[in-house]
Amino acid sequence: MKIKKACFLIIFLLVFFIVTLASTGPTYAIVNCRIISPPLPIIEKGIIIIRDGLIEAVGVQGKIQIPDDAEVIEAEGLTAYPGLINAHTNLFLEAVPEPTQQPAASQAQAQPERRPVGPNLLVIDQLKPRKTDLDSFHKIGVTTVLVAPQRGIFAGQSVLLNLNGEKIEEMVIKNPVALHVQFITERGGYPNSLMGTMAYLRQSFLDTAHYVEHLIMWKKTPRFLSRPIYNAFFETLGPFVVEKKPIIFTCNNQEDLKRAIRLTQEFKLQAILSGANEAWRVSEELKAARLPLFVSLNFRPPSTSLYANQGEAARRRAEQEIYPANPAELHKSGLTFALTSLGINDASTFQKNIQLAIKAGLPPEIALKALTVYPAQILGLDSFLGTIEAGKIANIVLCRGELFDPKGQVEKVWVDGRLFKIEKTPEAKAPTAFSVAGSWKVTVTSPLGEMEMTMELEQEGSLVRGTLISSYGRWEIRDGLLSGQELSFNISLTMMGQQIEASFQGRVDKEIIEGTIQIPGGTANFQATRIPRAD
Amino acid sequence: MKRFTFFISFLFIFCTSILWSGGNLLLKNGTILTVTKGVIARGDILIIDGLIKQIGENITPPSGVRIIDITGKYVIPGIIDSHTHIALDGTNETGKVITSEVRMRDVLNADDTSIFTALSGGVTTVHTLHGSANPIGGQNITLKLKWGKKAEEMIFHEAWPTLKFALGENVTQANRQLSPGEERRYPASRMGVVAIIRRELERAKNYMAQWDRYNELKRMKILNRPLLAPRKDLQLEALADLLRGKLVARCHSYRADETIEFIELSHEFGFRIACFEHIPEAYKITKELVAERIGISVFMDSWAYKMEAAEGIATMPAYCTQQGVLVSLNSDSNERIRRLFNDAAKAIKYGGLSEDEALKLITLNPAIQLGVDKWVGSIEVGKHADLAVFNEHPLSAYTRCDLTIIEGEVYFDREAYLKEREAAQKVNPKPKTTGGNQ
Repeated sequence: MKIKKACFLIIFLLVFFIVTLASTGPTYAIVNCRIISPPLPIIEKGIIIIRDGLIEAVGVQGKIQIPDDAEVIEAEGLTAYPGLINAHTNLFLEAVPEPTQQPAASQAQAQPERRPVGPNLLVIDQLKPRKTDLDSFHKIGVTTVLVAPQRGIFAGQSVLLNLNGEKIEEMVIKNPVALHVQFITERGGYPNSLMGTMAYLRQSFLDTAHYVEHLIMWKKTPRFLSRPIYNAFFETLGPFVVEKKPIIFTCNNQEDLKRAIRLTQEFKLQAILSGANEAWRVSEELKAARLPLFVSLNFRPPSTSLYANQGEAARRRAEQEIYPANPAELHKSGLTFALTSLGINDASTFQKNIQLAIKAGLPPEIALKALTVYPAQILGLDSFLGTIEAGKIANIVLCRGELFDPKGQVEKVWVDGRLFKIEKTPEAKAPTAFSVAGSWKVTVTSPLGEMEMTMELEQEGSLVRGTLISSYGRWEIRDGLLSGQELSFNISLTMMGQQIEASFQGRVDKEIIEGTIQIPGGTANFQATRIPRAD
Repeated sequence: MKRFTFFISFLFIFCTSILWSGGNLLLKNGTILTVTKGVIARGDILIIDGLIKQIGENITPPSGVRIIDITGKYVIPGIIDSHTHIALDGTNETGKVITSEVRMRDVLNADDTSIFTALSGGVTTVHTLHGSANPIGGQNITLKLKWGKKAEEMIFHEAWPTLKFALGENVTQANRQLSPGEERRYPASRMGVVAIIRRELERAKNYMAQWDRYNELKRMKILNRPLLAPRKDLQLEALADLLRGKLVARCHSYRADETIEFIELSHEFGFRIACFEHIPEAYKITKELVAERIGISVFMDSWAYKMEAAEGIATMPAYCTQQGVLVSLNSDSNERIRRLFNDAAKAIKYGGLSEDEALKLITLNPAIQLGVDKWVGSIEVGKHADLAVFNEHPLSAYTRCDLTIIEGEVYFDREAYLKEREAAQKVNPKPKTTGGNQ
């Protein structure tokens, strides 16, 4: 039923899309611009006509007539690029607080209604578009995003949006796009370990195939065969397991990539591997597997990495000098991939990381392809998206200077032919020197529910020392570092006879520190507020 | 950037400091403790293609073979840890009581620095297991500690596939700390543990019968009716494999009574127990263990450290060995794993084993328990060249491991490592506080 509804919605949206776009935006003629849209040849002095949300014509200046009704945009000295496609984000999604593990009776009465996580979750139902997000992505030239659900092993199905405003219906390009699977654990119940997650995935795929086989057999010969018991979970998974609709695996580390490859081969799935910020370490396996890749520009080493377990300074260096070279290394080994911002919270870091990847050896042209034509091809949208060609969706970025140059400045962005003017970035202020010394009250939202702790910090330049005190014990803070507003440190704690390394990373904002804690096999959130000094 | 390269070489110690030998190596002038064929006071070991080619005096190597002079040092077979949990991303799946479907193969982590720690103590092979929270845990795996190589390259494929069982306190107390309203997990008693294992094995038998029936019908093709295959259940598949003899049991147990009960269960259902884990009360049932040809993998210390270990004794490993039980010493830890040779030495002091018997506790015996004694566990021509070189006699209290070799490749070289560490520290000085929990 849900599927039918969803299909109906898609058809409805597509029709709606075509009809409404006929009335969007005036006609534009961008003249005298340089046009860079690989793999097409560069046009040094070109013209682009935009009408009804589509690119009506594109070519060399003078060869194409400017329509009478067109608003002429003089773009001398500017460069036009196709709008960038960010193929894996959690944009417009509220960070949902995880439920605490208290029994229902002891929980507060008014629990916000939560849709159960599962393959049938459509992320489109959870979107809360915000203009600030829109602006920040326009500013770096992104016009199209894939929004993926972020909770659960079978997280749900993603949607592809064109960032043309704040109305979801008008933004949708494709819904659903793919099923998202994550190598994470469930809280409380089964599976609560990575090995359990793998077994659970295998069993789910096996059961779905068995269910579909049973159903087909029963439909063919219903006599002398009991009918299969209806199961919504298998009904939803069926098309992905049997009909091979695409599944996007989020791979947090090199082993996850190999896990996804093994599952894909075992069950003959059609998979896209996303995340992959350690992909260069398994480039041989990736080449052999021939699966599309979405490479995240999040350069933080995963918690399993040997770069993450030898102190904060080593981790930081790896983040600054090793992981940014991942896209360049992949390119060198002959792999094609799309670049995404998965795991990066803000657009400006995404932009900075594109620049870092280029600095680490990724040719700018490949970076551009990895954000335009490659994701369009992988998602099967290249007939109408990804390049500046007549007939395609009018997603165009007009930039002063090179798009991926730190000095480049996006001035105008068209999304579905709608013009967005970008305000100039004010000069960056020098970072303020913060002091974190003192006592803090820390609230950790962990898999075991909320936990209160006290934190005592001392600071000496950028080095931070101190202790964390909780009812479970006192832990010394190691590798503490404050760089700008970013605070990071590690602790090691012993629980149930096992030594656990926890790595804290947060942002200091005067009296509040907010951030995440990475522990093997998961993350938690923490917030710290300053305890006023009693005089 | 040059300085940084230096730093990274610290992380990938072997990539820069060790010349890969290609599995061809000559160890010269060492004292060779073969474990099975006595001691050669001053001898050479020639390794070709990762295998021991020749053991003797004054061997002339073929040209191009790397030569390491180990004059004054001692060589033993690479140490084997029959029970540990390193190189994994996770230990227990506690979301269910029976988890025979989970595979440690799925969660290997070649980046675990414990691998390097283990190498520094001469360990070359480990059996890395699911934890002991569940009566039936997961499928374990045996690895060669090839630090710097990919996870897949570390797998010791010839080793027996094993399935973890657990009895006693760890299982019954797996969720002792309950949140308010949470129900305590079954089983919460020793009798419950045996009962649930019996129940699951019965289910596995039924499952096998179901598939047999299906295959028979499919073969006969006499029914003119639709024939649907039974549901494939990974949990029961693993147990069926146990009953078919494709998997062998490794059972965590502490007390003699529950151990005997588990042996009876194996008779009832016809599966093979390779080894009991920890089992401080083994000295009470040596006759049964010998008769059943079941090994034990135990701690040298840690006797009487918890209630069900209360009747543990320091001389247990030695006594059981003398009674004919196949005993190995395990670490069950990513820290104790680097001093298993000290543990072996203790079995001489506490119980009076001979040097060879003591060394077998950490080399040949665990190899037999894992089904790999044909390839590793002693220094013999034709076996894998997995070796550990010590500066003094490995059973001396003052000894340390200087070189660890797997299949003719040096994976740990103390001298080279210390040089690199020194260099790295110049680039990346130690923080003022060294940390650690208090």
